[in-house]
Order: sequence, then C-alpha cells, then structure tokens
Amino acid sequence: MKDSIITAEVKRRELIIWLICFAIANVVNWCAIIKFSTPWYEIFTQMGYVIVTSLVIYGLLLALRVAWWILSKLMQK
Amino acid sequence: MNRKEFLSDCGKIGFAGVTLSLFPWLQSCSEKAKQEVQGEKARIGIIGTGSRGCFHIKHLVQMPNVEVVALCDNYRPHLEDAAQYYPQAKLYDDYRCLLEQRDVEGVIIATPLYLHASMTLDALSAGKRVFCEKSMGYTLDECLDVYNKRKETNGVLFIGQQRLFDPKYIKAMSMIHEGKIGEVVGVRNYWYRNNNWRRDVPSPELERHINWRLYSEYSRGLMTELACHQLQNGSWALGMLPEKVMGSGSLVHWNKVDERDVYDCVTAIFTYPNGVNMTFESIISNKHFGMGEQILGTNGTIDLVTGMYYSDEPAPKGSGMHQLVAQIESGVMSNSVFAGTSWAAESSPLAPGMPIMPNVKVVTGESTVGAEADGSKELLEAFIHATITGRQPEKVLEESYYATQFALLADKAMHQNQILTLDEKYKIPYQPLK
Repeated sequence: MKDSIITAEVKRRELIIWLICFAIANVVNWCAIIKFSTPWYEIFTQMGYVIVTSLVIYGLLLALRVAWWILSKLMQK
Repeated sequence: MNRKEFLSDCGKIGFAGVTLSLFPWLQSCSEKAKQEVQGEKARIGIIGTGSRGCFHIKHLVQMPNVEVVALCDNYRPHLEDAAQYYPQAKLYDDYRCLLEQRDVEGVIIATPLYLHASMTLDALSAGKRVFCEKSMGYTLDECLDVYNKRKETNGVLFIGQQRLFDPKYIKAMSMIHEGKIGEVVGVRNYWYRNNNWRRDVPSPELERHINWRLYSEYSRGLMTELACHQLQNGSWALGMLPEKVMGSGSLVHWNKVDERDVYDCVTAIFTYPNGVNMTFESIISNKHFGMGEQILGTNGTIDLVTGMYYSDEPAPKGSGMHQLVAQIESGVMSNSVFAGTSWAAESSPLAPGMPIMPNVKVVTGESTVGAEADGSKELLEAFIHATITGRQPEKVLEESYYATQFALLADKAMHQNQILTLDEKYKIPYQPLK
C-alpha cells in the first residue's frame, strides 16, 4: 500500500469548504429560529447541532465531488 | 380536604389572598373568617338522613365548631344509622317538630326533591339558617317562592352547588375570565353512568319512598339530580344567563327493567345571548365517556372535571433546529396525498394537555351519593360559618337559583317538545361570577 500525502493546499481547500458548510449550517439555524419564533440565544446553544449539520453538508458535498471525480476519470478514458 | 388544605390549594393556584376578593363567597374559607367564629358552635338539625344526609354527617363530625342537636327522618333505619354518629341528638320523624326545637340554629335538608321547597320555606319562616340539597325546588314557582322568602326573612340559605367551592373550578374560571383560553365559544357537559340508579328496597311498599329519584311525582330525574350541577358552568364561564332552551328526553333502557318514569337519556341545548351554546347530555346505560365539563375557547379547551387545559395550538417542543428537522422528517416520511378529505376532523392530536394546578383531585361522577374533594365539605363549612355569623354570602344563592331554574326549564322543554325561554316573572337580580 502506498503512502498518501495530503498537501497543505488540499488541507486549506478542505478547511475552506467546511467553513462554507459551517456558515450555511448557521444560516439554516437562523432561518429555523425565525420560522419557529424560538429564542435567539439558540445561535449559541444549538452550536452542536450546527456543527453536525455542517459535517452532514460537507459529507454530501464530498460525495458529489467524489462522484464528479470518478465521472471525469471515466470520461478521460 | 380540610380548610388548611383548601387554602393551600388556593395558594398553589396562585391566589390565596386575591381569590377571596374575586370570589366573595369564599370569604368564609379565610383565616380571618376562621378566627371570627373561633370557640363558637353552630347547633344543627338534619332533615333527611339517607345516603346524602349521612354523607354530610361524615363531614360534620370532622368539624369542631358544629354540634348536631337534632335528626329527622320518616324512615326509621336511616334515622338510626345517623343517630350512631350523634347519640345525644333528639330524633324526630316530622320535620316540623324539629323546627320547633329552639336550640336548632341551622338545618340541613337532604330529602327528596319534591319536599325541598316546602321544608325550606318552613325552616326560613321558623328563623333557621338553611342548607338545602340541590335542586332548589320541584317547579319554577317553588324556586321563586324560596328565593323571595329568603329575601323577606333576610335569612341564610345555601343550596348544594358544591362546584363553587372546588379549587380546580375556581382556578379554571379565573383562567377563563383572564382570557387565557381566548373567547369562550362553547360549553359541553355530559354525565354518563351505567347503573340502574336504584337503592335497595327492603319491602315493595317502600319502593317509591326510597327510589324517589326514578319517579316524576318526586323528582325531575337527570335534569335536577345531575344536570343542575353542570349547568352553572356556562353562566360562570360566560358571565351571562341562557336565553333559550331546547331538549329531548326519553326512556331507552331502564324502563324495560323497572317501573320508573323519569328519562334515562337526555340531551339539552342552552343558547346564550351571544350565540354560544351549552350542551348537557346524560345516558345512564353506558358509562364509556364518564363525566365531562368542558369550556371551549378560541385558544384551547379547559376540562373542568380533570383540571386539564388543552391548547388548540400547543407550544412546539424543542429548538428551532429540532422543529425544522422534525418538519423535514415528517414531510419526507408522510404518505403522498392526492386529494385531502374534506370531512376529516381538524384536531390537535399533538396536544397532550397540561394540568391547570398541582395535585388536581379528580371526581369520576360514578358515585350516586357524593364524592370526596368535590367542594362539598367546603360548602358545608361555609354554611356553618354563615349559621354562626348570620351572614348570607354573596352570589351563591342566585347562582343556585338559576342552575335549578334552567334545569327545570330544560325538563319542561323536553316534555313539551318546544324551545323555551325563562318567563320574566322568574328573573331575579343576577350579578355574574366574574
């Protein structure tokens, strides 16, 4: 089995993608607070759920990106 | 429940002090009132020592400021049962002789309905303070006569409408009057039992004497024995009296078993001036639904019997994120609907209901004698207090008067197959309980 190398550029890119997902999850939380008229302190108290949501979004995006990468590899052949 | 527990319950529902000014007939339950009569005793005579009379005796023996000095019943076994509680009391089989006994200050009348008015009139004329079991009278005229006699003699008169002294009713009504359930748009009352409503009869000639509730010669049946209690809910909640009454009654089951002639199945509708309807329904050959008294508001429903509040729009549980996830989940998991059913009932299946106060004491309505913790004891204590002080509490008599009048009017509407209104001559000054 070969060693895998994750470059600093890849780490930075993935971190930026996750931060975008985190921002989206926060926006979802704000929308939920407005829609269900719940208290604004849920911005902080629901942080655990926001992080989990951001990871779910990140995972979905990752799955899409992997699918795109596989497709493009197949197209190149 | 003793006075301390009653006050404690009032405290729990958040208005120990305020309540007494909002509900003036409860003044006698205050500590001040207790001190006022400390060391004094009310000398009481009991007319009618059957099941309900003995129910009151069991409460009276617990009260330190009561001395039962006379007992009266024309059925010897009942009289002897009662005498075991008060061996020193004088025994009578004619209530007029009891009324002549000078040291009797107050009388408790627990006799068949057709005797209530005549006995109450005689007792008031004799200068006694009177507690008479509900209903107030057998006819509309009798009730008016009794009311006028009380006014003329300036005496004390209580009718056995104990819900006025039940903490959960007091709490519920204060919530309703504060607008917590929104605008009151309906009142539902029902009382279902599955029993023959009979007492054991040792010999056939005593049938009508003991089972008087079953014969229209002595009673108006379900309307005066049960409905009378529940009908005051509408007036109490709405602060007004019904404008018209309609109803239907029939004998559907028990007439096949015995000779009774009062209805065993009744439905009545009372319409208030603002258009709100109050219903009363009773069947005594099926008990599935038990007893219920519900005030329906635009925001939710209060069940007075169970002391529960059911919001039409229950507060959603959980954070915004939780609710969002739940909504997405229910959207994804629900069945596809091509066309909604227009007849499907719109209800609040998610509303579990919440108690209106801690430790609600629930009465099932199954007992044909009386239930504990339903306000009966507090009502009796209030009467004892009034017997000693000679002061008639505000509003209780008027409320009882109209509860009986509308029960009788509904019975009349059923027999005449008509929509009826209360004749002007039967209207007395009425101040709503709010």
